[in-house]
This record gives sequence, C-alpha cells and structure tokens, in this order.
Amino acid sequence: MSQAHARTDRSPAWRQLLSRYGLWLVFAALLAIASLLSDRFLTVPNFLNIARQTSVNALLAFGMTAVILKGGIDLSVGSILAVVGVIAVFLDQAGVPFVGTVLLSLAAGGLIGSLNGVMVAYGKIAPFIVTLAALTIWRGVTLVLTDGSPLSKLSPAFQAFGNVSPLGVPSPVWLALSALLATWFLLRRTGWGRGIYALGSSEDAARFAGLPVDRLKVSVYAFSGLMSALAALLLTSRLNSAQPTAGSGFELDAIAAVVVGGTSLAGGRGGVIGTLLGALIIGVLNNAMNLLDVNAFYQQIVKGLVIVGALLFERFLSSRSA
Amino acid sequence: MTALYEVSPPTQPTSSHPPVLHMTDIVKRFGPVEVLHGVHLEVRAGEVHALLGENGAGKSTLMKILAGVQPATSGELRLGGEAVRFRSVADAARHGVRMLFQELSLAPDLSAEENLYLGDMSPLISDRELRDQAAAHLHSLGLDLPLGVPVRTLSVGERQMLAIARALVGEPRVLVFDEPTAPLTAPEIEKLFEFIAQIRGRGVAVVYISHHLGEVFRIADRVTVLRDGRNIATSDVASTTQQQIIEWMVGRHVEVQSRVQPVSGDPVWQIEARPTGASPLHLELRAGEVIGLVGIVGSGRGAALRSLVGIGGESLWNGQPVLSLEDALRRGIGILPEDRKAEGAVLDGTIRENIALSSLPAVSRAGVVQSGPERQLVQQWIEQLHIRPAQPEYLTGALSGGNQQKVVLGRVLAAQPKVLILEEPTRGVDIGAREEIYEVIAGLAAAGLPIILSSGDAQEVLGLATRILVFRGGEVVSELHAPVTLEEVIAHVTGARTH
Ligand SMILES: Nc1ncnc2c1ncn2[C@@H]1O[C@H](COP(=O)(O)OP(=O)(O)OP(=O)(O)O)[C@@H](O)[C@H]1O
Ligand SMILES: [Mg+2]
Repeated sequence: MSQAHARTDRSPAWRQLLSRYGLWLVFAALLAIASLLSDRFLTVPNFLNIARQTSVNALLAFGMTAVILKGGIDLSVGSILAVVGVIAVFLDQAGVPFVGTVLLSLAAGGLIGSLNGVMVAYGKIAPFIVTLAALTIWRGVTLVLTDGSPLSKLSPAFQAFGNVSPLGVPSPVWLALSALLATWFLLRRTGWGRGIYALGSSEDAARFAGLPVDRLKVSVYAFSGLMSALAALLLTSRLNSAQPTAGSGFELDAIAAVVVGGTSLAGGRGGVIGTLLGALIIGVLNNAMNLLDVNAFYQQIVKGLVIVGALLFERFLSSRSA
Repeated sequence: MTALYEVSPPTQPTSSHPPVLHMTDIVKRFGPVEVLHGVHLEVRAGEVHALLGENGAGKSTLMKILAGVQPATSGELRLGGEAVRFRSVADAARHGVRMLFQELSLAPDLSAEENLYLGDMSPLISDRELRDQAAAHLHSLGLDLPLGVPVRTLSVGERQMLAIARALVGEPRVLVFDEPTAPLTAPEIEKLFEFIAQIRGRGVAVVYISHHLGEVFRIADRVTVLRDGRNIATSDVASTTQQQIIEWMVGRHVEVQSRVQPVSGDPVWQIEARPTGASPLHLELRAGEVIGLVGIVGSGRGAALRSLVGIGGESLWNGQPVLSLEDALRRGIGILPEDRKAEGAVLDGTIRENIALSSLPAVSRAGVVQSGPERQLVQQWIEQLHIRPAQPEYLTGALSGGNQQKVVLGRVLAAQPKVLILEEPTRGVDIGAREEIYEVIAGLAAAGLPIILSSGDAQEVLGLATRILVFRGGEVVSELHAPVTLEEVIAHVTGARTH
C-alpha cells in the first residue's frame, strides 16, 4: 500500500515497530534456528550478552541513519570512535573527572564529525569521498597518538561506565535505548528532523522551502560524530583500554544495520526504528555463529547472505501487500 | 450532474480509420484505493485523441498502464486487435507505444544525444555516430538543441522539446503526450503542433492530455473526458463546445473571468535585480499589486526572476541584499518554483510535512514541532486550496500533478510571505483548480500582498496583473498597464510591436 508506506514511516514509534513485520519474521526465524542449533543460545546471560555486543553497533547505526536519511554516508565512524577513545583515555589519565571526560569526548566527536559536514556542505565534496578520507586520517591520528599500542589503566569511574547493570540491565543497553529514543525524537518530532528528511528527498526542494541546508548538513555529520563518541566511551570502558585498531570496519556493520532496517540509501525514506531491528538481526547472527563455532571466514559469507536475504524478503512482503 | 457516456457518430473523417488501440474495463487500485473504475478508451490510427479531466481524474494513471509503467489491476488492452500486456516501458516501446511523461523523465547528467537513444542504443555505437544520428533526427524535426552537454544545462523548454524528440525516435504506432505544452512557450508549442500534425498524417494514433482546451480544439479529432476514474463522455471535437467539455470535466458551470484590481498608494518595495551577465532590473511594488512578467524562454524573464531570490545573481530588496534562497525566505519573500517535481515538492514526504516545511519555526516550540498547531495549519491550506485527497498523511509523490502543485503553493502561503513570487503557478493545474488558484491569488492581492507573477501563459497574466513587464533579448522591452488585450501582449512578446 503506497499510503501505508507514508503512514508507517511517520506513525508513532510502537506502530512503526510493528509495521516492520517482515523484519520481525526474519529476526524470529534467526532466533528459532539459533536456539535449535545451540542450547547455550536461549539463555538470559547470552541475551544480555547480545544486547551488550549490539549496543556499540546500534549507537553508530543511529548516527548513520540520520546521515543516510539526509542523503549522505559516513564511512568515518569507526575511526572517529578510535580517536575519541584515545582522547578520552588521555583526559582520564590527566585526572579530569569522569563527567568532564564524557562531556569533552562527546564534544570532540561532534567537532570531528562537523568537519566532515563542513567539507560536504561548503567544500561541495561527495560525502563518500570526504568520509573515506576522514576514515584514514583519523585512523592515522589514532596510530600516531598511541604509537600503535593500546592505552590502558582507566579510572574506576571510567571502568565502571560500561560494566555496571542498573536495575539488572547492562549500562550499554541503557545507553543504546536512550540514544534510540533521542534519535527517534530528533528525527520525528523536531524541525531539524523534518529538515533532514526533506533534504534527503530533494535538496532543491529543501532549499526552496527556505531550510538552512548547509547547516543541516554540518549538523547531521556532527550528530554522527557524537554517536561515535558515545560508542567510543562505551567500548573503551568495556575493553578497559583504548585500542589503536578499535572500531575498524565498524562502519560496514552500521551501514548494514541501517539498510537492513529499511532506510533508503538514496535518502529521505526510512527511520531509526528499523535500524534497531537491523542492528539486532546482525547482533544475533554474530552471536549465534560464534556459539556454533562457525569458522570466521565463513561467518563473513553468511552475514552477507543474510543481509541480502533479509532485504529481498522484506521487499517481497511489501510488494505483495501493495 | 449525472455521468453520460456518448458514442461518437460514425460519420466523422477519422472514423474511417481502423481503431488501433482498445482499452476496455480498465481498473487500477493502489493498495485499497481504487483510482480507475473500469475505464474505456478507443483510439484510431491517424487521429489525435484528447484525454481530458480534472487533476486526479486518472488520465496519467490510465496512460501509464498503456505505456507499461504500471500494470492494470484488471481490464483488457488490445493493440491492433491483439491482446497485449506490457511488462515495462521498453516492452511497450518495442510494440510501438511511446509516451511523453507528464514529469520530465530525462537523465539530467547525460547529453541530449545519449538521452535520445537511451534504451535503444546499440552498445557498439561510437560517440561520433551517436551524435551524427542525433543531429540528423533533430534536424528532421527542425529542432536546434545543444549536443554534447548535460541536459541539466538546458532550459526546461529545451528539455521538453528533447523529450518530445525522443518520443518520436523510431516509428511509433501509438504516441501519448501527457501535458506536453506545460513547460513550453508559444513558438515551441507551434512546433510541437507541427510534429503532431505530421505524425498524425503518417497514421500514428496520438493521445493528447492537456488542461488547455484551446489546444484541444486546434489539434484534436476526438475527445474523451474522465472524472474521478470514470468515463464521462467521448465525442468528436467538431460537434462539441469548450463550455460543454468544461462541464463534463468539472460537473458544474465554471466562469472564466478577469480579476485585475486597481491599486494605489506608494510603492512598499524598491527592488533591484542583478542577474549575472544580464542587465539589471528595477522594480517597484505597491501593496496589493500584481506585476506580471512575460516573455519567451531565453528572453531573460526566468533569469531576472530567479536573481530576485539569489539564484544566478543577486538582488536588493529595499536596500537589503538577498544572496540566497535562505535570505529570501528569511525576509519574507515566498517563491513558488516552476519545476514542482525537482524544486517544489518533497515527494517522499506527506502533504502535512510539505505544507508545514516552510513554517516549522511558527509551529514549533524549542525546536519541537507541536502537532496541534501544525495540523491546524495544514488543514487550513488543504481546505483553502481544495487539495485532493484531503488527507494530511497522504504521500505527496502519489498525488496527481495538479494537486502536488497546490501542496507546494500551500507550503509557500502557509509561511505568510510579505511578498509572493509565482513562477508558472498553474502549470499542470486543471481548469476548475486554476480558477480556484486565481481566486486565492486575487484574494491575497486584495488583502494587500504584493505579487510578482511570471508565466508563459499570457492569458493567465492578463487575468491577474495590473502591470505587465515584457522581456525580450535579456531585458524589459515594454511595460503594459491593464487593461490590455491578449493580442497586444503577444505582439510585444514576439517583437511584432515595440510600443
Ligand atoms: N502511485 C500511486 N499511489 C497512490 N495513489 C496514486 C498513485 N498514482 C496516482 N494516484 C492517485 O490516482 C489518482 C489519479 O491520478 P493521476 O495522476 O492519474 O491524475 P491525472 O488525471 O493525471 O491528474 P493531473 O491532471 O493532475 O495530472 C489521484 O487521486 C492520485 O492521487
Ligand atoms: Mg497527470
């Protein structure tokens, strides 16, 4: 249904969540297969584990969703994650209180992201190129700063950050859920979000509507940088160190989560709720294959096939209901 | 008014030709919404068959089924007596059915020659051969279009002529024109009519969709009128009248009238437009004044207008610089752009999102859109402009062309501009809706809003403008004051008269 397409994209979060039933089916099928194949899969600790592992990718993917909706792409999220991790550990080791470390790291992530945005908006360079360059630049900066070896020894507060479980739920899950709500709210309830969708659908139309197109572009990459910084704090705390190679290749999982979640790479259509499902599907898949001791080489092949399969399946369902 | 279905008398000239195309009982559903409820259409070889109806009547939908864009939900399609079902546009083209789509469908980054043979290009053709072939084809049509540059750089009118030339590649049996004249100027329209007369003479069946009845009476042999996805009438053009057709289309009587209102008082806007590479233009606007800009494509009309909002130049509004669209909108200058698909509507967005898009600060608190005020604003403009369907959550891309135009106009007006620039405001809008839009424009002017109206449709300018600026060769060559006649305006536009 073409009208339903508009509706499902714009309706309340819970209704959007239900409307992606094709993806839910894929997700359920994955759960069923995994629990048949491994008796360690269907356990509470393992589920908490999946949630924890998924949260870093989910954070990156939420930022990525905004960028892709705007009609762009951000390949630099993994490198921004790494460099912000290093900055955070530097701050921590310099004795900055943890709250300060968090705020400054988020600011750093936002700033680095906005540099991408400036190049895209004012330098008029394609987002793919800008963020590809940023990917290698910030990875390089990370390697220079760390001299290629991990930075460890975190303050107790930093160590606790990603490893506590308030109310029995791991802190990464709390973080990812808050980020989900915040992103959903920003995209669906604010003028900023309206601008992002309009821009992704037609840049000219957005300009004729009088939207501050260039500033919107800068802000969306800044938002993605901010999400990368949040992921950096989480991952650094979980690993108890800043790794020079942290986050490498993460951009691909983030993009995969967005695309599996039904957001159009052409921009303008989709949303962050689908991205959550996409990230969960990828998370469960990774977890199940690890439990089943699938050879790491085969894991990649299976993952690629599942991504394509999920997309085909959903397309099939939506074309039949049209 | 009840629907009537007339069968044309079999004594007219074209009826001697055999019908090539039969569409029978065509039903089309989009999801739960049925748009065509069993439509019939029969087109003969060598006739120009006008397909008429209001915005949303289903004209484009029916023709897209014919051209292989989308399948019918049910119904039968016969071509030369043989039942066919087209799976794609290419499939339809192979059977000799070609369509010029309502919305320009060229690849903007390819050149004219690549666009001409897109889809039927042999893979081994060299650039040289392609260009020669294209040049020959364009020459045979008497067209002079730049080759070797991206068509993005061509004017809207030139692009449309290119799209027409593309539909004429090969030897089509059925040719569909969906509102071909909307972006064209008078001389280009004459050229198009020549082509149509030629291909009609070669026995091609032509379906012609337009909202301009004058055109229909000039070139069409028969006419079929649809309303709300149903046949209302089919008749020979010679045995009907404009008034009759309008009543078939609208289902009621429509009065066409002039709405020029006298204005007085001092100018409220002193405007200095400086289009890059053209002569500057000084404009004075009084409250409630409608200034009309007329002139053919290339006359400088479009460039001057766009420099007013900082595109391809800059302007001063009461001494304040406007260097970009953002500046313009901030200063309360609202513009309705001519290319609604690319510049006007956010096609992926709903009606609500489009109408509210330029008024977001007004309906937001601390950056958060307040759904109550938003819905109220949107509802108001849906009603005022009679947007159909009147559903705020309807996807704008799924609306008929005319309704998309109303949505964009709604967005511009919802922002309560202090001055309004209208660029082809009724392109693709049906007669009833056009009168409604004129009514809205006249109402805004009566309430004191100054309006700049640029249009290729001289009649439209004549019906609204108190003052008309005529562009030719990159500058304003004359200024006409109401009342003037259509003949006078056209004489000035074409250069037949200079004072
Ligand atoms: N893809 C679609 N999904 C849903 N509804 C559609 C779709 N395409 C067209 N419609 C609806 O079908 C109806 C007929 O539209 P169509 O474009 O055929 O009208 P039209 O007669 O060509 O009007 P216009 O003169 O404005 O071009 C409209 O109500 C429109 O909203
Ligand atoms: Mg149409």
